[in-house]
Amino acid sequence: MIRRNGLALCFALVLLAVASGAGLARESDLSSQARKCLQCHAKEGIRANFPEDGQSVPARVVPAEFRVSVHGMLDCTACHVGYLPEIHPKKRFRSREQFRAATTSACRGCHSNGQIRGNPIHANFLKRESEGESPVCTDCHQAHSMNAVSGGKIFSNEKQYCMSCHRYQMDMICRNKERIPLKVDLSELEHFAHNKLRCSDCHFGFSQEEHPKRTFRSRRDYTIASSESCRRCHFDKYTKTLDSVHYAILSQGNLDAPVCNDCHGAHGIAHVSHTVKGRVLTTQKCRKCHAQVYEMYSKSVHGKALIGEQNQDVPICIDCHTAHDIQNPLTLEYHERIPQMCGNCHANPAVVTKYGLSPDVLKTYLADFHGVTLGFYKKQREKLYKPARPIAVCTDCHGTHSITGAGSSSPSTVKANLVKRCQKCHPAANENFPNAWMFHYKPSPSKHPLIFIVNAVYTIFLPIMVIGLILQVLLHVWRYAVNR
Amino acid sequence: MKGTRTEGRWMIRRFSRFRILEHWGIVLSTLVLFATGLSQRFWHLDFSQWLILKMGGIDNVRWIHRYAGVLFSLGLILNVVVAVAGVVRGKWGPSMFITKKDFTDAVENIKYYFGLDDHPAKCDRYDYMEKFEYWTILMGGFLMIVTGAVLWFPILVTKILPGEIIPAAKALHSNEALLIFLINALWHIINAVFSPEVFPLDTSIFTGYISRERMAREHPIELARIEEGPPE
Repeated sequence: MIRRNGLALCFALVLLAVASGAGLARESDLSSQARKCLQCHAKEGIRANFPEDGQSVPARVVPAEFRVSVHGMLDCTACHVGYLPEIHPKKRFRSREQFRAATTSACRGCHSNGQIRGNPIHANFLKRESEGESPVCTDCHQAHSMNAVSGGKIFSNEKQYCMSCHRYQMDMICRNKERIPLKVDLSELEHFAHNKLRCSDCHFGFSQEEHPKRTFRSRRDYTIASSESCRRCHFDKYTKTLDSVHYAILSQGNLDAPVCNDCHGAHGIAHVSHTVKGRVLTTQKCRKCHAQVYEMYSKSVHGKALIGEQNQDVPICIDCHTAHDIQNPLTLEYHERIPQMCGNCHANPAVVTKYGLSPDVLKTYLADFHGVTLGFYKKQREKLYKPARPIAVCTDCHGTHSITGAGSSSPSTVKANLVKRCQKCHPAANENFPNAWMFHYKPSPSKHPLIFIVNAVYTIFLPIMVIGLILQVLLHVWRYAVNR
Repeated sequence: MKGTRTEGRWMIRRFSRFRILEHWGIVLSTLVLFATGLSQRFWHLDFSQWLILKMGGIDNVRWIHRYAGVLFSLGLILNVVVAVAGVVRGKWGPSMFITKKDFTDAVENIKYYFGLDDHPAKCDRYDYMEKFEYWTILMGGFLMIVTGAVLWFPILVTKILPGEIIPAAKALHSNEALLIFLINALWHIINAVFSPEVFPLDTSIFTGYISRERMAREHPIELARIEEGPPE
């Protein structure tokens, strides 16, 4: 018992010594040769220049980092063969490339192929090497501050394990020679929606034991393939995308069609945000491909309010087009849904009345000629036949992405534009024709008084007449009965 | 007009074959017009939507309505032409014209209903209620024809007239339609079916004959004229 306690005490003391020493770089722990080299190489700003390509690498070694690294006890010349404190040849390397190749062969002097193959990722590098590439150890492991890599045993979680390599700048090379950076910014990952996930939750097939080699035809192929992993959790969204126009063009072979990652990112996947900032960001995602439409939108009454006034009420792309099951907006089916889309806001008094807009626009449209026809066409589509004739909906008069406020143009301009709109379907229409439409107004003494009067007269006259006629019938029957 | 004896009753010829045919024409064309028109006016009702879909969709319904409207218009014009020609040629008198007597008849009848008079108004060939029906359908019919044409050819109409005419025509057309429907479907049918004197059906417009006793009660002046014989 006492012996065991004594051992524990010794161990604690050693730990304390190591811990207190870790903060301070005590050169006495270094080999005498290293101390000699560091007399110069610890200085800030010291660099090695390569005459041939004009590049340079830092030649500074931070003593503290080197001392705590796994190679801290080595002499410098163990790696830097050909150098001694006394013999310091100048300009041994022509170029940076040559220097990098030389560092790798220095590592391989001790670390045999058999040893490094033990790590699955190294097996890939060895294969690449046999294909003519030259992976450089120090790209991942650093030159003077390398740490023990002991088969993943020291990692408390998978993320740490993966990040031990993927925090470094490295590329995957596609068959078309495009390079895909494999460096992962952990800080980016940690601030976003997937921070609780393990790497292999998305990168399935990869683990601390397995690191299969995958080659892709192009960078785009890789993006499309990696979007496949989203459906493992987001199956509802995935099935929606299968109905979308984006998926349709992707399956037709257009690889530019957006996939999950194009809009949502890869590691920096944000939570759904309904703030103005989030909504503006969403429009920016669509803008990447639909720049022209975005330009129009940004100048419209909706776009200006969103971007200029941070207005939450105005629609963004996905409010009309939806986010995942985006439909082709050029079909008749889509066209017929437009009044309901606009009506989502414009028939909602809570949204529109504060801007001085009438919430009756949908009702008045649906009750008028075009609206009634449209309503029946939608029903007929399900039960009878598909009328191929498009019926004027909101956007046909107001525009789609370039919608302006009704008050932003003079009435004469509005009227002139309206005649042109009418003529699209009614070619012979003249400038009187647009007034056949009641402009969403309900007849009132001030708006469309003629119709108001007609309706009022009948509303009064009809019941009086009906009551009169029924009275006549009842009186007749009553008298007949009395007479009998 | 000659009398015949049927089932032991004196039957008097009241309507010619042309009038019977004309009535059938109005019945059929207005039935189609009401079915296709009122279902459009009350488009939001489930029944209307069911009916319109049964009739082959809104476009079909609109075309059926227009064709029926054309038939109705031709019938109406024919009625006026025949009536005027008959009066001009002295074949019959202007029996449908509204006269001062119709108003006094109405007052007299109301008195009778309330027991202030012991007999109903003595009417000629057409009583004031029949005239009221005829003229509402004739005048309403012309209004329907004009406003219907405006709605059929809005682009042509707005070449000359302001655009506001179109929704005004629509308001008139649909309101007047309802008025004619109520007079026809409600009042006329009640009178011709449920009136105690004729129940279960006033057949005179279908057979052309009316009983002498009904003539004596409803059209005593005309009956007297018939039985006196034609004035020479």
